[in-house]
Amino acid sequence: MAKIIVVTSGKGGVGKTTSAAAISTGLALRGKKTVVIDFDVGLRNLDLIMGCERRVVYDLVNVIQGEAGLNQALIRDKRVENLHILPASQTRDKDALTQEGVAEILEKLKEEFDFIICDSPAGIERGAQLAMYFADEAIVVTNPEVSSVRDSDRILGLLASKTRRAEQGGDPIKEHLLVTRYNPERVTTGDMLTLEDIREILSVHLLGLIPESEAVLRASNQGVPVTHDASSDAGQAYSDTVSRLLGEEIPLRFHEVQRKSLLSRMFGGNRR
Amino acid sequence: MSLNADSANVAFTFKGGMLPMTVMELSSADPEHIRRQLAGKLSQSPAFFQHTPVVLSVEKLDEPHLALERICAVCRDHKLLPVAVRGGSEPVRQSAWALGLGWFAPVEEGRARSLESVSRTPEVAPVASSTQPDVESLEAPNAATRLFRGTVRSGQQVSASDGDLIVIGAVNAGAEVLAAGSIHVYGALRGRALAGIHGNTQAGIYCRELEAELISVAGNYKRLEDIDSQLLGCATEVHFIKEQLEIKPLS
Repeated sequence: MAKIIVVTSGKGGVGKTTSAAAISTGLALRGKKTVVIDFDVGLRNLDLIMGCERRVVYDLVNVIQGEAGLNQALIRDKRVENLHILPASQTRDKDALTQEGVAEILEKLKEEFDFIICDSPAGIERGAQLAMYFADEAIVVTNPEVSSVRDSDRILGLLASKTRRAEQGGDPIKEHLLVTRYNPERVTTGDMLTLEDIREILSVHLLGLIPESEAVLRASNQGVPVTHDASSDAGQAYSDTVSRLLGEEIPLRFHEVQRKSLLSRMFGGNRR
Repeated sequence: MSLNADSANVAFTFKGGMLPMTVMELSSADPEHIRRQLAGKLSQSPAFFQHTPVVLSVEKLDEPHLALERICAVCRDHKLLPVAVRGGSEPVRQSAWALGLGWFAPVEEGRARSLESVSRTPEVAPVASSTQPDVESLEAPNAATRLFRGTVRSGQQVSASDGDLIVIGAVNAGAEVLAAGSIHVYGALRGRALAGIHGNTQAGIYCRELEAELISVAGNYKRLEDIDSQLLGCATEVHFIKEQLEIKPLS
């Protein structure tokens, strides 16, 4: 049975698209048939992060409006088998999405895939609500920052009231918290909220913690999801996150200040 | 320099001020229709109608001519004081001025928030009751008491319009809990809590951890800024005593 997972946050720039790309890549690397859908119509980004921007012909809106078939719009990932991308339109706006259209596409994708990852736009308007409406699970991406936590709280409220599962009174959406851009040093100095603070306010199951890392920016600009960079801390953290999403028990890493060993200090083990 | 010299014997100074103001958004221009609704409201929350100044918003009305004088009379009969009109056509503006009322330009759409939600069942209510259908009937001491289990999140509003509200969980920043009676929060209170919304000054607010943005009993409120910082983070109770809000630790 295919699972629909929305990656959402409320606030922009916290790492939704990065996380959607990294998690879907991670799932595909474990052999799960995965499709990742960009719901950010008008601000198409996912294809850049996934490095397939030059192969976009048709998009989500084309499919909804019947101008292209679903298979024509799906882009096969070059690096991993089992991974497909459904890009957003850059020229339309979010009003071009309809609930019926999205429902139809998701139904079709469910027949073929194990995981459907919906990359939500920022905000709480139509685009974001459509991205979450049909979800079975939600990954709420939060930065250790007051405004981000507040917005995540708002999104969690919407997940519990404005989704199909909430409206039809079935099992509620399974909510996960993914803390990104976590910098233990700055937490220690009081510049950032601590993981405990965030968990206490949001009271949601913690799926993973991604440390602030140079690898993320590098990966974005190269169009290679950071999960592929297995030597980086962020790559490993996303890999742990995917394992937990698949039900494995993995201890939390990267949440404490790392003492640099004498050797790494001498040889400048700076790669993060 | 001359400004300073004159400051002793000036009759007044102009100052900009932001005052809380109730906007009465009219969706009907019929004074009798308005009268009927006001009569209903008056019995529901008498404390609200004490010469409360209101701005009559006519933006939603599509009529060039309004019986503004009669509408104002109806409001005054119910102890509401119209002080200005917002929106409307040129004739409406002229008649507002003729009646000695101010006139404001219409606001952009989507800015104003409806106060009606106070009395209506909030959007979160069906979720809470549908996920735990039996909780209220089993645990609630009486029908008017409302029990909410879980976190009240930013943007959500939970209200008990006839009795007490009990929240087993936290009320987060940006959330609002309201009750005709008292509010009990078994968790951190970070949002807004308004007890005694129909004017019951005996109502109280009780919480395990006080971090509230705003607390109010029967319309008498304190903001986070006004609260003694020593009480923040403590288990506290809030009552309206001797015409002011008293916050003290729960011991």
